Amino acid sequence: MVLRRCRKLLRDEDRALDAMQDVFVLLLRNDARLVADAPASLLLRMATNVCLNRIRSTSRKPEDADEALLQQIAGDDGLESRSLARAALARIFGREPESTRAMAVMHLVDGMTLEEVANEVGLSVSGVRKRLRTLKERVAAEA
Amino acid sequence: MDERTPGRVPDWLLERLALGELPAAQADETRRRLDAEPGGADRLAALRASDREILAAHPPRVMAASIRERALAPRRRRVLAWGAAVAAPVAAAILVVANTGGTPPVSPVETTRMKGLEPRLVLHRKAGGDAETLDDGATARAHDLLQLAYVAAGRRYGVILSMDGGGAVTRHLPVGGSVAAALDLQGATLLPHAYELDDAPGFERFVLVSSDAPFEVEAALAAARAVVSHPEAATLPLALPEGLQQTSIVVRKVR
Repeated sequence: MVLRRCRKLLRDEDRALDAMQDVFVLLLRNDARLVADAPASLLLRMATNVCLNRIRSTSRKPEDADEALLQQIAGDDGLESRSLARAALARIFGREPESTRAMAVMHLVDGMTLEEVANEVGLSVSGVRKRLRTLKERVAAEA
Repeated sequence: MDERTPGRVPDWLLERLALGELPAAQADETRRRLDAEPGGADRLAALRASDREILAAHPPRVMAASIRERALAPRRRRVLAWGAAVAAPVAAAILVVANTGGTPPVSPVETTRMKGLEPRLVLHRKAGGDAETLDDGATARAHDLLQLAYVAAGRRYGVILSMDGGGAVTRHLPVGGSVAAALDLQGATLLPHAYELDDAPGFERFVLVSSDAPFEVEAALAAARAVVSHPEAATLPLALPEGLQQTSIVVRKVR
Protein backbone atom coordinates (compact mmCIF):
# COMPACT_ATOMS: atom_id res chain seq x y z
CA MET A 1 0.00 0.00 0.00
CA VAL A 2 2.73 2.46 0.97
CA LEU A 3 4.85 1.56 -2.05
CA ARG A 4 1.82 1.91 -4.31
CA ARG A 5 1.20 5.35 -2.89
CA CYS A 6 4.82 6.39 -3.41
CA ARG A 7 4.83 4.97 -6.94
CA LYS A 8 1.74 6.93 -7.79
CA LEU A 9 3.09 10.24 -6.51
CA LEU A 10 6.73 9.92 -7.54
CA ARG A 11 6.37 8.02 -10.84
CA ASP A 12 9.74 6.38 -10.38
CA GLU A 13 10.38 2.96 -8.88
CA ASP A 14 13.72 3.75 -7.21
CA ARG A 15 12.48 6.98 -5.71
CA ALA A 16 9.29 5.29 -4.58
CA LEU A 17 11.21 2.48 -2.86
CA ASP A 18 13.41 5.02 -1.16
CA ALA A 19 10.47 7.11 -0.01
CA MET A 20 8.62 4.03 1.23
CA GLN A 21 11.55 3.15 3.46
CA ASP A 22 11.61 6.67 4.82
CA VAL A 23 7.96 6.32 5.80
CA PHE A 24 8.72 3.28 7.92
CA VAL A 25 11.84 4.88 9.34
CA LEU A 26 9.63 7.72 10.57
CA LEU A 27 7.36 5.13 12.16
CA LEU A 28 10.23 3.28 13.81
CA ARG A 29 11.66 6.43 15.28
CA ASN A 30 8.35 7.45 16.76
CA ASP A 31 6.84 4.14 17.75
CA ALA A 32 6.69 5.03 21.42
CA ARG A 33 4.35 7.93 20.68
CA LEU A 34 2.36 6.33 17.93
CA VAL A 35 -1.29 5.88 18.66
CA ALA A 36 -3.30 5.05 15.59
CA ASP A 37 -6.65 3.41 15.23
CA ALA A 38 -6.43 3.76 11.46
CA PRO A 39 -2.91 2.70 10.48
CA ALA A 40 -3.60 2.62 6.74
CA SER A 41 -4.82 6.19 6.77
CA LEU A 42 -1.83 7.20 8.85
CA LEU A 43 0.62 5.47 6.51
CA LEU A 44 -1.01 6.99 3.44
CA ARG A 45 -0.75 10.45 4.93
CA MET A 46 2.86 9.88 5.94
CA ALA A 47 3.69 8.59 2.47
CA THR A 48 2.01 11.61 0.91
CA ASN A 49 4.08 14.00 2.99
CA VAL A 50 7.33 12.15 2.38
CA CYS A 51 6.65 12.14 -1.36
CA LEU A 52 5.77 15.82 -1.37
CA ASN A 53 9.12 16.49 0.26
CA ARG A 54 10.83 14.51 -2.48
CA ILE A 55 8.93 16.26 -5.22
CA ARG A 56 9.75 19.60 -3.68
CA SER A 57 13.48 18.89 -3.69
CA THR A 58 13.75 17.71 -7.28
CA SER A 59 13.34 19.45 -10.59
CA ARG A 60 11.85 16.68 -12.67
CA LYS A 61 9.95 17.79 -15.74
CA PRO A 62 6.28 16.90 -15.28
CA GLU A 63 4.99 14.24 -17.65
CA ASP A 64 1.34 15.18 -17.36
CA ALA A 65 -1.12 17.52 -15.70
CA ASP A 66 -1.29 15.46 -12.50
CA GLU A 67 2.45 15.55 -12.03
CA ALA A 68 2.52 19.27 -12.75
CA LEU A 69 -0.20 19.77 -10.17
CA LEU A 70 1.72 17.74 -7.60
CA GLN A 71 4.81 19.85 -8.19
CA GLN A 72 2.77 22.98 -7.80
CA ILE A 73 1.32 21.75 -4.52
CA ALA A 74 4.68 20.56 -3.23
CA GLY A 75 6.41 23.80 -4.11
CA ASP A 76 3.76 26.23 -2.97
CA ASP A 77 5.50 28.16 -0.22
CA GLY A 78 2.35 30.08 0.52
CA LEU A 79 0.77 26.99 2.01
CA GLU A 80 3.21 26.19 4.76
CA SER A 81 6.47 27.79 5.66
CA ARG A 82 7.87 25.17 7.98
CA SER A 83 9.85 22.13 7.01
CA LEU A 84 7.34 19.63 5.69
CA ALA A 85 9.14 16.72 7.26
CA ARG A 86 9.17 18.26 10.71
CA ALA A 87 5.64 19.50 10.47
CA ALA A 88 4.44 16.15 9.16
CA LEU A 89 5.67 14.41 12.26
CA ALA A 90 3.94 16.86 14.52
CA ARG A 91 0.71 16.42 12.60
CA ILE A 92 0.86 12.70 12.38
CA PHE A 93 1.41 12.32 16.07
CA GLY A 94 -1.54 14.45 16.88
CA ARG A 95 -0.09 17.79 17.75
CA GLU A 96 -1.14 19.69 14.68
CA PRO A 97 -3.77 19.44 11.93
CA GLU A 98 -2.88 17.74 8.67
CA SER A 99 -0.77 19.57 6.15
CA THR A 100 -2.64 21.70 3.66
CA ARG A 101 -0.44 20.22 0.96
CA ALA A 102 -1.45 16.67 1.84
CA MET A 103 -5.10 17.68 1.87
CA ALA A 104 -4.64 19.34 -1.50
CA VAL A 105 -3.23 16.11 -2.92
CA MET A 106 -6.14 14.10 -1.52
CA HIS A 107 -8.67 16.46 -3.04
CA LEU A 108 -7.09 17.60 -6.28
CA VAL A 109 -5.01 14.56 -7.24
CA ASP A 110 -6.73 11.62 -5.58
CA GLY A 111 -10.19 12.91 -6.41
CA MET A 112 -11.51 12.73 -2.87
CA THR A 113 -14.44 14.94 -2.01
CA LEU A 114 -14.06 17.63 0.61
CA GLU A 115 -16.15 15.44 2.91
CA GLU A 116 -13.84 12.49 2.40
CA VAL A 117 -10.77 14.62 3.01
CA ALA A 118 -12.33 16.09 6.12
CA ASN A 119 -13.14 12.63 7.38
CA GLU A 120 -9.56 11.46 6.83
CA VAL A 121 -7.88 14.36 8.56
CA GLY A 122 -10.38 15.02 11.32
CA LEU A 123 -11.34 18.54 10.28
CA SER A 124 -14.69 20.01 9.38
CA VAL A 125 -15.60 20.29 5.72
CA SER A 126 -15.60 24.06 6.02
CA GLY A 127 -12.17 23.88 7.63
CA VAL A 128 -10.79 21.86 4.72
CA ARG A 129 -12.50 24.14 2.21
CA LYS A 130 -10.97 27.18 3.86
CA ARG A 131 -7.49 25.64 3.92
CA LEU A 132 -7.70 24.69 0.25
CA ARG A 133 -9.31 27.86 -1.05
CA THR A 134 -6.09 29.75 -1.62
CA LEU A 135 -4.42 26.86 -3.36
CA LYS A 136 -7.38 26.15 -5.61
CA GLU A 137 -7.40 29.78 -6.67
CA ARG A 138 -3.72 29.58 -7.59
CA VAL A 139 -4.20 26.34 -9.46
CA ALA A 140 -7.12 27.84 -11.37
CA ALA A 141 -5.09 30.94 -12.17
CA GLU A 142 -2.27 28.87 -13.66
CA ALA A 143 -4.52 26.46 -15.54
CA MET B 1 -12.83 5.80 -15.81
CA ASP B 2 -10.69 8.76 -14.86
CA GLU B 3 -9.34 8.87 -11.33
CA ARG B 4 -11.29 12.02 -10.58
CA THR B 5 -14.54 10.94 -12.17
CA PRO B 6 -17.30 11.95 -9.76
CA GLY B 7 -18.49 8.96 -7.78
CA ARG B 8 -15.41 6.85 -8.40
CA VAL B 9 -14.06 5.36 -5.19
CA PRO B 10 -10.68 7.03 -4.58
CA ASP B 11 -7.70 4.68 -4.33
CA TRP B 12 -7.16 5.98 -0.82
CA LEU B 13 -10.50 4.66 0.38
CA LEU B 14 -10.07 1.46 -1.60
CA GLU B 15 -6.85 0.74 0.27
CA ARG B 16 -8.58 1.26 3.59
CA LEU B 17 -11.53 -0.84 2.52
CA ALA B 18 -9.23 -3.69 1.48
CA LEU B 19 -7.58 -3.60 4.90
CA GLY B 20 -10.90 -3.60 6.70
CA GLU B 21 -10.11 -0.28 8.28
CA LEU B 22 -13.15 1.76 7.29
CA PRO B 23 -15.94 2.18 9.85
CA ALA B 24 -18.84 -0.17 9.08
CA ALA B 25 -21.17 2.43 7.60
CA GLN B 26 -18.45 3.94 5.43
CA ALA B 27 -17.32 0.48 4.32
CA ASP B 28 -20.87 -0.42 3.26
CA GLU B 29 -21.22 2.82 1.36
CA THR B 30 -17.83 2.35 -0.32
CA ARG B 31 -18.72 -1.21 -1.39
CA ARG B 32 -22.00 0.04 -2.81
CA ARG B 33 -20.18 2.69 -4.84
CA LEU B 34 -17.63 0.15 -5.97
CA ASP B 35 -20.35 -2.21 -7.19
CA ALA B 36 -21.93 0.61 -9.16
CA GLU B 37 -18.63 1.66 -10.69
CA PRO B 38 -17.66 0.18 -14.09
CA GLY B 39 -14.84 -2.26 -13.37
CA GLY B 40 -15.14 -1.51 -9.70
CA ALA B 41 -15.07 -5.12 -8.58
CA ASP B 42 -11.84 -5.68 -10.49
CA ARG B 43 -10.09 -2.93 -8.58
CA LEU B 44 -10.00 -4.88 -5.32
CA ALA B 45 -8.62 -7.91 -7.16
CA ALA B 46 -6.01 -5.70 -8.82
CA LEU B 47 -5.03 -4.35 -5.42
CA ARG B 48 -4.44 -7.85 -4.07
CA ALA B 49 -2.45 -8.80 -7.17
CA SER B 50 -0.34 -5.71 -6.64
CA ASP B 51 0.24 -6.75 -3.01
CA ARG B 52 1.52 -10.13 -4.19
CA GLU B 53 3.80 -8.53 -6.76
CA ILE B 54 5.28 -6.14 -4.19
CA LEU B 55 5.85 -8.83 -1.58
CA ALA B 56 7.55 -11.04 -4.15
CA ALA B 57 9.80 -8.27 -5.44
CA HIS B 58 10.63 -6.88 -1.99
CA PRO B 59 10.62 -9.65 0.62
CA PRO B 60 9.49 -8.22 3.96
CA ARG B 61 12.48 -9.71 5.78
CA VAL B 62 14.98 -7.92 3.54
CA MET B 63 12.96 -4.73 3.50
CA ALA B 64 12.58 -4.70 7.29
CA ALA B 65 16.33 -5.09 7.75
CA SER B 66 17.02 -2.30 5.31
CA ILE B 67 14.57 0.02 7.04
CA ARG B 68 15.96 -0.81 10.46
CA GLU B 69 19.44 -0.05 9.22
CA ARG B 70 18.31 3.26 7.83
CA ALA B 71 16.59 4.10 11.10
CA LEU B 72 19.89 3.55 12.88
CA ALA B 73 21.78 5.80 10.50
CA PRO B 74 21.61 9.04 12.52
CA ARG B 75 23.13 7.31 15.55
CA ARG B 76 25.84 6.02 13.27
CA ARG B 77 26.42 9.56 12.03
CA ARG B 78 26.77 10.79 15.59
CA VAL B 79 29.41 8.18 16.35
CA LEU B 80 31.44 9.38 13.42
CA ALA B 81 30.98 13.05 14.11
CA TRP B 82 31.72 13.05 17.79
CA GLY B 83 34.35 10.37 17.64
CA ALA B 84 36.55 12.52 15.47
CA ALA B 85 39.62 11.86 17.58
CA VAL B 86 39.45 8.19 16.75
CA ALA B 87 39.28 7.42 13.07
CA ALA B 88 37.51 4.13 13.58
CA PRO B 89 36.52 2.18 10.52
CA VAL B 90 32.92 2.68 9.57
CA ALA B 91 32.16 -0.98 9.93
CA ALA B 92 33.32 -0.95 13.53
CA ALA B 93 31.22 2.11 14.27
CA ILE B 94 28.18 0.42 12.86
CA LEU B 95 28.83 -2.62 14.98
CA VAL B 96 29.17 -0.55 18.14
CA VAL B 97 25.97 1.30 17.43
CA ALA B 98 24.08 -1.84 16.57
CA ASN B 99 25.10 -3.39 19.86
CA THR B 100 24.45 -0.40 22.07
CA GLY B 101 21.38 1.11 20.50
CA GLY B 102 18.88 -1.20 22.13
CA THR B 103 18.19 -3.02 18.90
CA PRO B 104 19.23 -6.66 18.66
CA PRO B 105 21.98 -7.33 16.13
CA VAL B 106 20.52 -8.61 12.91
CA SER B 107 21.49 -11.85 11.26
CA PRO B 108 23.69 -11.91 8.14
CA VAL B 109 20.61 -12.44 6.02
CA GLU B 110 18.88 -9.47 7.55
CA THR B 111 21.81 -7.15 6.90
CA THR B 112 21.28 -7.43 3.15
CA ARG B 113 21.20 -3.81 2.05
CA MET B 114 19.07 -2.09 -0.48
CA LYS B 115 21.13 -0.96 -3.40
CA GLY B 116 22.86 2.34 -2.58
CA LEU B 117 21.67 2.50 1.00
CA GLU B 118 24.69 4.51 2.07
CA PRO B 119 25.87 7.57 0.16
CA ARG B 120 29.26 7.12 -1.44
CA LEU B 121 31.72 8.63 -3.85
CA VAL B 122 33.04 6.87 -6.91
CA LEU B 123 36.31 8.00 -8.43
CA HIS B 124 37.42 7.35 -11.99
CA ARG B 125 40.75 8.16 -13.60
CA LYS B 126 41.22 8.76 -17.26
CA ALA B 127 43.60 6.17 -18.61
CA GLY B 128 44.25 6.57 -22.30
CA GLY B 129 40.90 6.46 -24.00
CA ASP B 130 39.29 4.61 -21.10
CA ALA B 131 38.50 5.25 -17.47
CA GLU B 132 39.51 3.11 -14.53
CA THR B 133 37.76 3.07 -11.17
CA LEU B 134 40.00 3.94 -8.24
CA ASP B 135 39.63 2.24 -4.89
CA ASP B 136 39.95 4.15 -1.65
CA GLY B 137 43.70 4.49 -0.99
CA ALA B 138 44.72 4.08 -4.62
CA THR B 139 47.80 5.92 -5.81
CA ALA B 140 47.73 8.83 -8.22
CA ARG B 141 50.06 11.39 -9.67
CA ALA B 142 50.01 15.11 -10.34
CA HIS B 143 48.07 15.87 -13.54
CA ASP B 144 46.02 12.68 -13.37
CA LEU B 145 42.56 13.48 -14.63
CA LEU B 146 39.88 12.34 -12.20
CA GLN B 147 36.14 12.19 -12.60
CA LEU B 148 33.97 12.07 -9.50
CA ALA B 149 30.54 10.56 -9.18
CA TYR B 150 28.27 10.27 -6.19
CA VAL B 151 25.54 7.89 -5.15
CA ALA B 152 23.08 9.80 -3.00
CA ALA B 153 21.34 6.72 -1.58
CA GLY B 154 18.30 8.78 -0.81
CA ARG B 155 20.07 11.70 0.84
CA ARG B 156 18.62 14.76 -0.76
CA TYR B 157 21.28 17.40 -0.22
CA GLY B 158 25.01 17.29 -0.46
CA VAL B 159 28.33 19.08 -0.67
CA ILE B 160 31.38 17.56 -2.30
CA LEU B 161 34.75 19.00 -1.44
CA SER B 162 38.36 17.93 -1.57
CA MET B 163 41.25 18.37 0.81
CA ASP B 164 44.88 17.94 -0.14
CA GLY B 165 48.20 17.45 1.55
CA GLY B 166 49.11 21.05 0.84
CA GLY B 167 46.34 22.24 3.17
CA ALA B 168 43.89 23.34 0.48
CA VAL B 169 40.13 22.79 0.65
CA THR B 170 38.27 22.95 -2.67
CA ARG B 171 34.55 22.80 -3.23
CA HIS B 172 33.24 20.79 -6.15
CA LEU B 173 29.51 20.67 -5.54
CA PRO B 174 27.65 22.94 -5.57
CA VAL B 175 29.83 25.12 -7.76
CA GLY B 176 28.31 28.28 -6.28
CA GLY B 177 25.81 29.39 -3.71
CA SER B 178 25.66 28.97 0.03
CA VAL B 179 23.27 26.01 0.32
CA ALA B 180 24.05 22.36 -0.34
CA ALA B 181 23.14 21.03 -3.77
CA ALA B 182 19.96 19.03 -4.33
CA LEU B 183 21.37 15.60 -5.12
CA ASP B 184 20.24 13.49 -8.01
CA LEU B 185 18.73 10.36 -6.48
CA GLN B 186 19.04 8.26 -9.60
CA GLY B 187 22.03 5.93 -9.23
CA ALA B 188 25.59 7.22 -9.73
CA THR B 189 25.73 10.85 -10.85
CA LEU B 190 28.83 12.24 -12.48
CA LEU B 191 29.95 15.74 -11.58
CA PRO B 192 29.86 17.99 -14.63
CA HIS B 193 33.63 18.52 -14.76
CA ALA B 194 36.71 16.34 -14.41
CA TYR B 195 39.39 17.32 -11.92
CA GLU B 196 43.12 17.46 -12.63
CA LEU B 197 45.31 16.67 -9.68
CA ASP B 198 47.92 19.30 -8.90
CA ASP B 199 51.31 18.70 -7.32
CA ALA B 200 50.18 19.00 -3.70
CA PRO B 201 52.00 16.33 -1.70
CA GLY B 202 50.69 13.34 0.20
CA PHE B 203 47.05 12.84 -0.61
CA GLU B 204 43.88 14.13 -2.17
CA ARG B 205 40.76 13.33 -0.21
CA PHE B 206 37.28 13.78 -1.63
CA VAL B 207 34.42 14.12 0.84
CA LEU B 208 30.69 13.92 0.30
CA VAL B 209 28.71 15.55 3.11
CA SER B 210 25.03 14.79 2.82
CA SER B 211 21.75 15.21 4.62
CA ASP B 212 18.04 14.79 4.18
CA ALA B 213 17.59 18.52 4.71
CA PRO B 214 19.25 21.58 3.16
CA PHE B 215 22.34 22.81 4.99
CA GLU B 216 24.95 25.50 4.59
CA VAL B 217 27.92 24.70 2.37
CA GLU B 218 30.07 26.54 4.86
CA ALA B 219 29.33 23.93 7.53
CA ALA B 220 31.12 21.32 5.44
CA LEU B 221 33.91 23.63 4.29
CA ALA B 222 34.64 24.84 7.82
CA ALA B 223 34.82 21.28 9.10
CA ALA B 224 37.25 20.42 6.32
CA ARG B 225 39.40 23.46 6.97
CA ALA B 226 39.54 22.51 10.65
CA VAL B 227 41.26 19.20 9.92
CA VAL B 228 43.08 19.74 6.62
CA SER B 229 46.36 20.63 8.32
CA HIS B 230 46.14 17.80 10.83
CA PRO B 231 48.72 15.01 10.38
CA GLU B 232 45.85 12.54 9.94
CA ALA B 233 43.82 14.76 7.61
CA ALA B 234 43.64 12.04 4.97
CA THR B 235 41.46 9.89 7.20
CA LEU B 236 40.22 11.97 10.11
CA PRO B 237 36.42 12.29 10.09
CA LEU B 238 35.14 15.84 9.83
CA ALA B 239 33.48 17.17 12.97
CA LEU B 240 30.18 18.02 11.33
CA PRO B 241 27.02 19.40 12.87
CA GLU B 242 24.55 16.72 13.89
CA GLY B 243 22.40 15.51 11.05
CA LEU B 244 25.12 15.64 8.43
CA GLN B 245 26.64 12.43 7.14
CA GLN B 246 30.04 12.05 5.50
CA THR B 247 31.84 9.65 3.28
CA SER B 248 35.31 10.00 1.77
CA ILE B 249 37.59 8.50 -0.80
CA VAL B 250 41.33 9.15 -0.70
CA VAL B 251 44.05 8.86 -3.30
CA ARG B 252 47.67 8.74 -2.20
CA LYS B 253 49.98 10.92 -4.19
CA VAL B 254 53.17 9.45 -5.62
CA ARG B 255 55.76 11.21 -7.72
